[in-house]
Amino acid sequence: MTKKLLLREIAHSRSGEKGRDSNISVIAYDPKNYALIEETVTIDAVSKLFRPISKGRIRRYEVPNVHALNFVIEDVLEGGRTRTLAFDESGKALSSLMLSMEVTVPDDLMSQFEKNLRRANQ
Amino acid sequence: MKKIRLGSATAWSRDRFEPASELLERGNIDYLCFDSMSEVTMSIAQAQKLDDANRPGYDPYLVPRMARVLKECKRKGVRIITNSGWLDPIGAAERIVELAQELGITKLRVAAVVGGILTDRIADMGLTFIENGEPISKSREQIVTGEVYQGAGGIIEALKQGADVVITTRVGDACLYLGPLAYEFGWDLNDYHKVAKGMVVGHLVECGSQVSGGCFADPGYKDVPDLARIGNPIAEVDEEGRVIISKVPDSGGVVSVDTCIEQLLYEVQDPANYFCPDVVVDFTKVTFQQTSDNEVEVIANQAGKPRTPTLKALIGLSEGYLAEELVLFAGPGALSRAEATRELLLERFKIIGLQPQEIRWDYLGINSVHREATPVSEEVPYEIVLRVAIKTRTRREAELLGIEVDPLAVNGISGIGKWGTHSPGSRIRPIVGLNSSLVPREEVPYEVVIREVEFV
Repeated sequence: MTKKLLLREIAHSRSGEKGRDSNISVIAYDPKNYALIEETVTIDAVSKLFRPISKGRIRRYEVPNVHALNFVIEDVLEGGRTRTLAFDESGKALSSLMLSMEVTVPDDLMSQFEKNLRRANQ
Repeated sequence: MKKIRLGSATAWSRDRFEPASELLERGNIDYLCFDSMSEVTMSIAQAQKLDDANRPGYDPYLVPRMARVLKECKRKGVRIITNSGWLDPIGAAERIVELAQELGITKLRVAAVVGGILTDRIADMGLTFIENGEPISKSREQIVTGEVYQGAGGIIEALKQGADVVITTRVGDACLYLGPLAYEFGWDLNDYHKVAKGMVVGHLVECGSQVSGGCFADPGYKDVPDLARIGNPIAEVDEEGRVIISKVPDSGGVVSVDTCIEQLLYEVQDPANYFCPDVVVDFTKVTFQQTSDNEVEVIANQAGKPRTPTLKALIGLSEGYLAEELVLFAGPGALSRAEATRELLLERFKIIGLQPQEIRWDYLGINSVHREATPVSEEVPYEIVLRVAIKTRTRREAELLGIEVDPLAVNGISGIGKWGTHSPGSRIRPIVGLNSSLVPREEVPYEVVIREVEFV
């Protein structure tokens, strides 16, 4: 059995800018979930989220040594920080768009996550 | 065993002031490093200088920052490294010598590292832009600034010449940390694994508290204690190459494997090939180990590759003006009143003949942050702020936006609110767009210029 949850529950993220592009990391909280993230957070899945604002390619890099993926979203800032009319001119808020991705996970992972969440909320 | 401790005082020009003093008082540091630049710093400084020729070319925060720490740094033998020289590192060095005299410091050696500013010649170097492959010479009339990211060589040379304070223009941000490490441990800049380690250290701490809990907190998921008193990071490296990242003792924030991973990948494209002036770093060879509370060991032993024959240059191009306005709505019908205001303004633009090169409308509270990628929602928020931003060729056209929005206070839609800030021109700025290029490194030598307080 599987369940759906937001990527935010199993990963954290930081976004930065480089010229016209943004980079957005996806880092497994628990290194054990890296394989799941690697399988689920594909270029296709990221494209679905970012295509409306990305004018260029989306590249994915695997960084297993730190159980993370790094995405480069090309031309996502309407010309880059220096030229953009976007309100979030640096794209630093884009990490939260990444974490809004819905991912399908096995049930047992879900119960483990619920335990974590209870602990976090205490 | 020899150990060197580097304190990261600032991530950029307008970062907090307290961390420098805290690092100096409680960090047991050997070097105090101030990164004062972002990508746009040089071009904005140049644009401001064109408006006001008397404005210093260096970071306006340089003197107030140094005034707080210079005397104590000299007393303790803590050396200062900063890129806050911006357009004029020699002017900055001379100003610091004056400051030292004002503070009663009787002996101080300040080094300016110059070279790398190409504004006057970049159009004639036969180079092309990375972004579009066009020759830079075609944009000659628009060029505001051009400068390369220099490596750590100038900083090392300045330290060899006994500088207490090293002030550079644009260098790779992490070079502010690589420089003192290479100097202290005698690393050859051709020894790419060692240099890569120095750049990993610099990359982790160059953004100040971003590695010690800044930009990290997500309540309920990633909690960070006492963020208001966040401590800035300290990198300790020993002669055997062991690296520990920690922070100011008894401060807020957190240094963990997770904070280090977030910062390792920050502003990185291909992690296996992170291009730096002195080396190419492979971040896929880096790992972290929590060694105690707020202490993380960084393992980066074979992470280097030989440097490339070129240095990256940033070229700032004058591309017109940007203006933005906000109009506020709340309560029943807030969204439809905001939308009606948009229609009204579009009609007014037609009447007065305003034709911006680009125009953008956002509804704050609905879609202003993630823009067109925002998920569709049925919920109507209580408040809506209409934002309009335009790009124009001239300042006069940019001013027309405010001239049209201000009268909405009396002739617009009902229940309209206006945002408070309204000093003239405050919502207009010149656009200096950045492009980049690759410059053969032999074309941009650096030089160290010494200025000193004379013995009294």
